[in-house]
Amino acid sequence: MDTFILLFEGLATATQPSNLMFALLGVMLGTAVGVMPGIGPALTVALLLPVSLSFGATGSMIMFAGIYYGGMYGGAISSILLNTPGETASIMTALEGNRMAKRGKGGKALGAAAFGSFFGGMFATLGLAVVAPFMVMVALSFGTAEYFALMVLSFMTVSAAFGGSMSRGLTALFIGLTIGIVGTDKLTGQVRLAFGIPEMSDNISIAIVAVGLFAIGETMYLASQYVNHKEKAQAVSGSVWLNWGDFKRCMRPYIRGTGLGFLFGPLPTGGAEIPTFLSYTTEKRLATGEARREFDEGLGAIEGVAGPEAANNASAAGTLIPLLTLGLPTSATAAMMLAGFQQYGLQPGPLLFTNNADLVWGLVASLFIANLMLVVLNVPFIGIWVKLLTIPRPWLYAGILCFATLGIVGAQGSPFALILLLGFGLIGFVMRRFGYPLAPALVGAILGPLAEEQLRRGLMINQGDWMFLIESRIALAIYAIALLSVFGPRLWALLRKANRKASAAA
Amino acid sequence: MSVDPKNQAAEEDLRLPFDDEAGHGTGKRDLAGLLIAVALFALALVIINDASGYPIRRSYAKFGPEIVPYLIASGICVMAVITAIMAWRGAFEARDPLNIGALSWLVGGIVIEIFMLYGGTGFIAGSAVLFAFAARAFGQATLALNLAIGAVLSTLLYLLFRYGLGLSLPAGPVERAIDLLLR
Repeated sequence: MDTFILLFEGLATATQPSNLMFALLGVMLGTAVGVMPGIGPALTVALLLPVSLSFGATGSMIMFAGIYYGGMYGGAISSILLNTPGETASIMTALEGNRMAKRGKGGKALGAAAFGSFFGGMFATLGLAVVAPFMVMVALSFGTAEYFALMVLSFMTVSAAFGGSMSRGLTALFIGLTIGIVGTDKLTGQVRLAFGIPEMSDNISIAIVAVGLFAIGETMYLASQYVNHKEKAQAVSGSVWLNWGDFKRCMRPYIRGTGLGFLFGPLPTGGAEIPTFLSYTTEKRLATGEARREFDEGLGAIEGVAGPEAANNASAAGTLIPLLTLGLPTSATAAMMLAGFQQYGLQPGPLLFTNNADLVWGLVASLFIANLMLVVLNVPFIGIWVKLLTIPRPWLYAGILCFATLGIVGAQGSPFALILLLGFGLIGFVMRRFGYPLAPALVGAILGPLAEEQLRRGLMINQGDWMFLIESRIALAIYAIALLSVFGPRLWALLRKANRKASAAA
Repeated sequence: MSVDPKNQAAEEDLRLPFDDEAGHGTGKRDLAGLLIAVALFALALVIINDASGYPIRRSYAKFGPEIVPYLIASGICVMAVITAIMAWRGAFEARDPLNIGALSWLVGGIVIEIFMLYGGTGFIAGSAVLFAFAARAFGQATLALNLAIGAVLSTLLYLLFRYGLGLSLPAGPVERAIDLLLR
């Protein structure tokens, strides 16, 4: 039981006062941004990337993970009270949760969500601690061909799963890859796509790309729509504490949701959307008695909140498995965290577990602590977070914009960095307006240079022979998974449609 | 990033996000979409033009720093063709009317901030102006109030990051006065 010894040592790292402070800061920020509609954990980590350089590697990773987990908790609040999910992971929570709130059971829905997040987060983090060392053992045998295949898998699935359109996902990916090659080539020193601008011959900082696309671009997109930002939030009604009867109804959805989230989180299918969707439909199908009636009559069933909320936190933990063991991000927030690691010259992967064991296990241990903090913040102190919903939107977004430029000014400190930031903001805006997903662009910019390094190193070893890419069985298997995860869901959808037509005809 | 749940709530028709591709296209020829295709072609040309200028190196790899740019450029070309077809067939979804005024306030705010930051007025003033412009973009028209809130927020941010985290931010008269007071 090496894992538990390591985890115990990690606990020592995580309970250092400064790291506890970073965890608390992370979960508070995460909950706050989760609550506010329009900004999610990915954007928040992006905003903090440039300023976190002074926090130290362990501290900032603990904070980022806290933001990720906190965002999952906080997202439930705006879903339930406002019917506006703060991020995609909470869409399913809004369905039943908001109905409950309208019927005066908002407190109960919030309680079910918070305890579900706690349950999902705790058990999935435990799963992460148990599974990660095995993944590391597998990953240690990987060579250039396998790593290249893994990155192709990541590229394909991130382009296919985010947003609605495969071709637009791939276009976004290629834009990201282009950003990735700007600067000095690592292997030969050749300067590429710099157009004689000295700042461009160093590689473009990922922080500028991330903040530009996600923060500036998103704010521009929101401003460009004629939307009336005056929704009415439901008041928190009733106690947020669950009674025994509620707990009995929530227990099974918690377990199923955690399972689904933990299963789908590590798969490169785009984070929490699919597991929360599956959890919701499962609970709806399995509902009996009182729950059946509440689902059918649109009264709001507590199971429909409990399952997806356990699932989205479990998937956050699951996402960390491929991120930490292979260096593969499977959600936008995970991609931001990868950029955070790279800022410190750390490359997540099997070597991280041997070279920076204290960081990795400190991070894992801090996740347990973050979960404890979050359940305290979200049950007794729920009222504070609800107040955040009353900040007028113009000032909220203006504040985000100020913070975004502050980070880049402070870290880069050149007018050119800000012009670049504005440029990426405009690109992000156009992409959002035409339905292009942003995450593939970010993953392309982060993973592109790593994939190129693997490819060209492989070509060098094999004297320019491309066949090495498909000579490894593991690599071939990974390509097969890539094809399956891209085309599988489409086939499934087609089959389902055909089935529905057949049954409609009969 | 906020997603309208009402679309998803239609009971029978809960769809996975990727169930159908570009299913709600307008069916009308899309000039803006064609423009994106042209921009993608231009990007590919720029990459190829850049990569063809690298000096040729002899190495075991047989491929130098130009190989990946060429691969990416060909990928972009393929995507440009697909984009052009999509735009021609009207496969892009209908877009909401564009609020140009709001967008100009935002972009204008950022441009003015860049000039102010590096023209010597300092972080607090530049950031306060950006705040006021951005709030205006989102429909909050009381300029004086926006500026006041922006100034308070920027001052707090300056104190937090200058003294809390030691970030160096462009200093103007206000910042120098604060630095003198706190020294």
